[in-house]
Amino acid sequence: MFSIIKRFIYEFKEYIVLAVLLTISLLLLSLNEQSAIRGVKRISFGSFAFITSTFDNLITSEKTADAELRRRNAELMLQLNKFRRFKSENEKLKSLLSFRDTTGYPFESTRVISRLLSVSEGNLILNSGRKDSVTKGMPVINDKGLIGIITDVTKNFSLVRLMLNSSFKVSVEDQRSGVDGILVWNGRELFMKNVPTTYDLEVGDRVITSDYSTIVPPAIPVGLITKKQTTVTGMLSDIVVTPFVDFSSIEYVFVVKIVPSKQVDSLELNLFRND
Amino acid sequence: MIKKFIKPVLIFIPLALLQLTIVPFISYQNISPDLLIILIVYYTLLNGRLFGTVLGFILGIIFDLVSGGLLGSTAFAYALSAFITGYFYNEKKIHSNLNSLIFSLLVLLAASIEIFLISVLTLTRTNLSIVYLIFNGGVIPGFYTAFLSLFLLVFKPKKRMAE
Repeated sequence: MFSIIKRFIYEFKEYIVLAVLLTISLLLLSLNEQSAIRGVKRISFGSFAFITSTFDNLITSEKTADAELRRRNAELMLQLNKFRRFKSENEKLKSLLSFRDTTGYPFESTRVISRLLSVSEGNLILNSGRKDSVTKGMPVINDKGLIGIITDVTKNFSLVRLMLNSSFKVSVEDQRSGVDGILVWNGRELFMKNVPTTYDLEVGDRVITSDYSTIVPPAIPVGLITKKQTTVTGMLSDIVVTPFVDFSSIEYVFVVKIVPSKQVDSLELNLFRND
Repeated sequence: MIKKFIKPVLIFIPLALLQLTIVPFISYQNISPDLLIILIVYYTLLNGRLFGTVLGFILGIIFDLVSGGLLGSTAFAYALSAFITGYFYNEKKIHSNLNSLIFSLLVLLAASIEIFLISVLTLTRTNLSIVYLIFNGGVIPGFYTAFLSLFLLVFKPKKRMAE
């Protein structure tokens, strides 16, 4: 009996090894959100980021003046967006009393040292971490608009989940009409799913982050509506949004130093803490 | 046996570095080549299916850890694609497999399977058709990777590849 088992194992050892390894992989996949796994990942990407950062320093050089211009650009982008929003709301004679100021957030200017871009997954590793007061949950932008959100932080580095990641979703609105929706990535494009066809959304409209978002501040530019796909029933549409940011060439970004709310029912959502 | 893993793991470090820093700049619409699968296919054809499968798993785990990706996804994909590549391992044809277009064709096969598997494992919500995923999330990046593997054939150190 023992020799039969032994012979079986010897004969099919490659298949047995494969089955074991695939099972371990699937097990790890299901445990990704466990704190122990997150801890191991944090240590690993933090350690490798030192090598990546050194390599990146060799191939890129940033001038102080360039960095300052980029920061100014990002500030102006937010300010411009605020004025666009004022215009839109004035036209509709809305009350501005509840309007939130989205400019004046403290920025952490930082460099991208590593990128993971695939059809389904988009991550960046940034050259700023806890020592720069970056914490989990902070939004990341550049002078074009929203990029993603910080999902993990080590002492010197931080991991960003891009908008182009199927596990990222953000509440957005049409800047012209104020219609809200949830923006998700489906592996090919960013889209707002199942929006009633009667909603006022037009191709060419600008899409910005919404007041309802608990993870990013409102009025950060996201992209332009480029397509409306009506479903078979004709009742709902999928709204395709082309992002302003070119994700394949991001080099410098800004971490917006605000702490997102943990209490959704808190009316101010804690979005305006500048500390 | 364990000693055999040291060399590919050491080569993995600069390749992972390139994959995470340079490769995104040559990607188009999130379609990018995978340099690491070239390494895995090479060592699978050199040392056999069992070696390739284990190597794929190890390098996949390390890559998942250092890239901040979903832990287990790359390991799963690398292990399975190395296992499939291992069917083409032939002790008597190591030289011809590594020094001809067969190598790039096997890179195409392995990369297409591997990138498709990662897309399927990491996409949590999608309305994309399976055909789109097979092509854009598999075959096209596979061709891109196979194209880059041609450079290895052209610029390889002749003696070493013939070992």
